[in-house]
Amino acid sequence: MKRNNFRGSQRRRRNGSFLFFFVVLMLSFIATASTVSASEGGGVNPLAWNTDLALWTAVIFVILLFVLGRFAFGPIVKALDAREQAMTDKVAAVEKANADARELLNQYQQRLADSEQEVRQMLDSAKADAQKASNDIIAAAKVKAEEEHKRALAEIDAATEGALADLAARSATLATSLAGKILKEEITPERHKQLISGALGEFSKN
Amino acid sequence: MGSELIDINELGGHVSDSSTYHLPHWFGELPPLPAFDIGPYHFQVTKFMVVELVVAVLLVAIFVPLAKRIKTGQPLKGRFWNLLEVFLLFLRDEVIRPSIGKDANRFTPFLWTMFFFILLCNLAGLVPWFGASPTGALAVTAVLAAATFLTVTLSGMQKFGLIGFWTGQVPKMELPWVMAVMLKPMLFVIEVIGLFIKHIVLAIRLLANMFAGHLVLAVFLSFIAAVAGNLVLWLGVTFGSVAMSVALNCLELFVAFLQAYIFTFLSAIFIGMAQHQH
Repeated sequence: MKRNNFRGSQRRRRNGSFLFFFVVLMLSFIATASTVSASEGGGVNPLAWNTDLALWTAVIFVILLFVLGRFAFGPIVKALDAREQAMTDKVAAVEKANADARELLNQYQQRLADSEQEVRQMLDSAKADAQKASNDIIAAAKVKAEEEHKRALAEIDAATEGALADLAARSATLATSLAGKILKEEITPERHKQLISGALGEFSKN
Repeated sequence: MGSELIDINELGGHVSDSSTYHLPHWFGELPPLPAFDIGPYHFQVTKFMVVELVVAVLLVAIFVPLAKRIKTGQPLKGRFWNLLEVFLLFLRDEVIRPSIGKDANRFTPFLWTMFFFILLCNLAGLVPWFGASPTGALAVTAVLAAATFLTVTLSGMQKFGLIGFWTGQVPKMELPWVMAVMLKPMLFVIEVIGLFIKHIVLAIRLLANMFAGHLVLAVFLSFIAAVAGNLVLWLGVTFGSVAMSVALNCLELFVAFLQAYIFTFLSAIFIGMAQHQH
């Protein structure tokens, strides 16, 4: 900070001596020009020299240079530079923010892709599980149905056998009784018919 | 015949400096501008001095507030301020920086002052009754060119040293020493004369452009007075003269900007050349 101040004062001193030389040389230049110049002539002489005007112009210009440099153009140069710097910084910051956002986006996209993959795997395995479970269930049901079917067939067989045995027993009894009846009665053809239809009716009733 | 009709001295009065203001006759006459005696020195105030003073005050009144606005760091509001900033930035980015390089900021205030001072002095000649352009006088353009010359030489000597700057005017060449002893002094003389001529031409270019432009305008308008005796001729010539004057005024408007630009541009180039020797 101190060094900056020192440099600043050094620069001011250098600028001051610069301005001093500037003014002195300008005045000597005007003095030379006024002695060299042609004396005032009438008419239109574009090269007519007016020392008063030259002096006045030099004074006005130097004062203007000083005042504008100190209060207008000097500060403007600095302010424009500062603004330029600020803009450059802002652009850099925005670019960085943009890069960060893009990086973040990439990360999220990657994460999204990963989770999609995961979900797909989960779905696939769930589907496979479900398929397996349903296959098992179907297989088990098939086995059970087969068993049921077999049992039903066995029951039918048993029932058929029972029925046949019953039928055999009943038909034996019926034959026996019928034979007994036949033996007891004198059989006429009508009676014969009656007996048979009666026996058949009794058979069908059973 | 022509010389009788058009008085060249009368024409010159419209173009050159004077200690009185020339107003249309029905406004009456203004008193002549004052003169001062400072010791033995007689100092006469002239129209051009008044114009220069007005220009200087105007520049301070315009650019000091502009500096305040730019210093806030906010973008400027308003067409006028933005227009000024466009000028400043154009000069800095397209003229001063490319010519001078990294030290451009040091010379930017000088060249901005030069540009706007010349521009307003040029434009002052287009304001009716205000007075012709001060840049149409050798004393003014010579002082401005001298300012550039001093900036070039002083800043060059500041950078390369008194001897370094002047010897640096000779381009560096690989020569056998016999040739070098013969050629280098000649080259030095040529280069130094060239340095002076460049700045003298700077003054003459601006002077000639402004002076000639206003003189041509005055000549065109003087045709009207020259044929005032003949009504038919007068009507035709008046129409033609006014039309031509309007066109020339537009041209002058352009030349006012162009010459201010050229002066600043060449000044920047000369400063740049002094900052970067061959």
